[in-house]
Amino acid sequence: MAKAFGIVTSSPEHKVDGMQDYRPIGAFSFLGRFRVIDFPISNFSNSGINNIQVYITKKPRSLVAHIGTGRHYNINSKRGRIQIIVPNEELVNSIYNTNINALFSNIDYIRRQTKDYVVIAPSCMVFAQNYDELLQEHVKSGADITLLYHKVFDAREGYSTCNALTLDGDKVTSVTPNLGDEDNKDMFMESYVMKKDLLLDLMFAARETSSVYTLANIVNAKCGELDVRAVEHHGFFAPITSLETYYKANEALIDIDESATLFTSDWPIYTRTSDSCPTQFYDEAEVKNSLISNGCEVHGTVEDSVIGRGVVIGKGAVVKGCIVLAYAEIGENVVIQNQVVDKYAKIVHENKILAEPGSVGYIKHSDTL
Amino acid sequence: MKQTEMLAMILAGGRGSRLHDLTNKVAKPAVAYGGKYRIVDFPLSNCANSGIDVVGVLTQYESVLLNSYVAKGGLWGLDTKDSGVFVLTPREKADSGLEVFRGTADAISQNIDFIDSYNPEYLLVLSGDHIYKMNYDKMLDCHKEKDAAATIAVMPVPIEEASRFGIMITDDDDNIIDFEEKPANPRSTLASMGIYIFSWPRLRELLVADMDDPNSDHDFGKNIIPTLLNAGDKLVAFKFEGYWKDVGTIDSLWEANMDLLDENCELNLDDPTWKIYTEDSAGLLGLPAYIGPNADIDRAYITQGCRVDGKVKNSVIFTGATVGTGAQVIDSVLMPGVVVGDGAVVTRALVADNVKIAADAVIGSADSKEILLQAQDV
Repeated sequence: MAKAFGIVTSSPEHKVDGMQDYRPIGAFSFLGRFRVIDFPISNFSNSGINNIQVYITKKPRSLVAHIGTGRHYNINSKRGRIQIIVPNEELVNSIYNTNINALFSNIDYIRRQTKDYVVIAPSCMVFAQNYDELLQEHVKSGADITLLYHKVFDAREGYSTCNALTLDGDKVTSVTPNLGDEDNKDMFMESYVMKKDLLLDLMFAARETSSVYTLANIVNAKCGELDVRAVEHHGFFAPITSLETYYKANEALIDIDESATLFTSDWPIYTRTSDSCPTQFYDEAEVKNSLISNGCEVHGTVEDSVIGRGVVIGKGAVVKGCIVLAYAEIGENVVIQNQVVDKYAKIVHENKILAEPGSVGYIKHSDTL
Repeated sequence: MKQTEMLAMILAGGRGSRLHDLTNKVAKPAVAYGGKYRIVDFPLSNCANSGIDVVGVLTQYESVLLNSYVAKGGLWGLDTKDSGVFVLTPREKADSGLEVFRGTADAISQNIDFIDSYNPEYLLVLSGDHIYKMNYDKMLDCHKEKDAAATIAVMPVPIEEASRFGIMITDDDDNIIDFEEKPANPRSTLASMGIYIFSWPRLRELLVADMDDPNSDHDFGKNIIPTLLNAGDKLVAFKFEGYWKDVGTIDSLWEANMDLLDENCELNLDDPTWKIYTEDSAGLLGLPAYIGPNADIDRAYITQGCRVDGKVKNSVIFTGATVGTGAQVIDSVLMPGVVVGDGAVVTRALVADNVKIAADAVIGSADSKEILLQAQDV
């Protein structure tokens, strides 16, 4: 068992148009059978961190239902637990909706933790990481804070609300917003390792400086004073911070070689089962290069798509380059291309919905078109 | 303790020897079915969906895998404070030695202490190797309404098949007036499904007497039911209509899988009001089914964790199975973890768990009379 407890932050600074109106990013369906939050929680669980606090700032229903007791994440119900933490007070202005304020509103829960260290991970990024290894590296290095980053080569697109690190060797000299001014950046993965007491100190220091400071802001301010180091992450990394990055991350993982860099047999990603039956492919079905979840009925053509649980694809329908979330229905002879179709949407009357090449369309939750 | 109205006991000790190599190391109830299930998921899910909280599973033959599987009661939601799935194997007792279960009735008799500890009014006795969906609570309503000592679920079978079953002869009010085990000239077409509800105090009396009867086979069909009939107890037939299959042979197991390809299959595993629960596994990587760029799928039942990059026609592909590029799987069943190498051809076969078919190998044939069971790597 690791010497740390885990915190999954709510990352209120990221906004995903459309989908986020219905649930926080952590609750987004991912790759058909997962939700984004399955990644940080499975990372904790596999790392032997089984005291986990999950912060949710808005619309908690779907996440609370998905996480439940945490049993499906292998969190021992007697010796470990998942606490779901929602804010106690209404915010007068959304600028106060920061991770520091969320931590403050539940400071007693942090103080009561018996572990010396804390690992903080984001609920809106998809990657696999052994946090116990990171913790051991942190302890060995003698650093005050260790941050995780990923080298990206396309920082002009898609990382607009993320922070990037400035490094001097393995020392971090700043944590600042990615302005999209360069292609190559050391993108901060919103993952921190430090002592619990230091987290508490940083929370107070942040509050003293500004009521709207985030944890990244205060770590940036303390870079000179504290020993802040960075460790590079290898493997698949995708921040889910916009509709485009959500779409791109799903599409990228259809490639079986790419997904092998995220999913490995010794690092299972757990999720809640829906007990759906296998998927039925009928005579006229034509399916290529796609991931198909259970419980679907496929009569039509599917290419380069990710299909969620219980989706119905009618006869003569053509679904290309789409992310179709659970229980949606694509009616007979409907043609859709480059769309994210939210849960329970029904496309039965409109028979052609095509996004411009390179762009992504969004069909709302429960909408009938 | 809250009283348990009806306790279920699932008989899961049989070997299923006509399934040959499939049941060499695994008891029949643990055999995989329908892409993601095991056969025993059906009675267990039926119990859970019928509101039965406590289920005993009686195992004996090659039961390591079966025991560890059914012990995970949470899979079927049978792990609340008052519920549980309990594995009951033959054990050494204080007043007698270690004895195997001598028959279906003896398996229950040897666990009277377990049943007594719940003090149930009724006992539901089930078989662990049948595929069907049934609401046992409705059957209990019938049992209570008729004030029966025993209620036996029956289903009509074609007359030419009736001699393979235990046949119930009933009067106009569904009272069982006679019973024949595998009759040469059946007098009725109502076959016993091996599903019984007994009023526990009455059954308990009979079991205690049966245990010491040297002439008894200790079997429900052969001994307990005839004894009840002769004693004049009220026996009622509960008529079931719907999908029910006892998959005794490779051909019937293959056929039961093929049934799922039919859009109108009566079993309907896609019914949200009566889900069949099972272990949620998605193979090594945990992905949904991956259908590759070279795939050609034509009428198939495919579950999560599979990888298909070849042709699949009229086939059922189980968890974590792989169909290589250019391979062909036709009229076949690939059990969990099977790998069909690139360019291999599998026709009219049932390929057992984790078997590897080498690239370009050819097994089975379109005009075979019987389904090929492939239980070794080729």
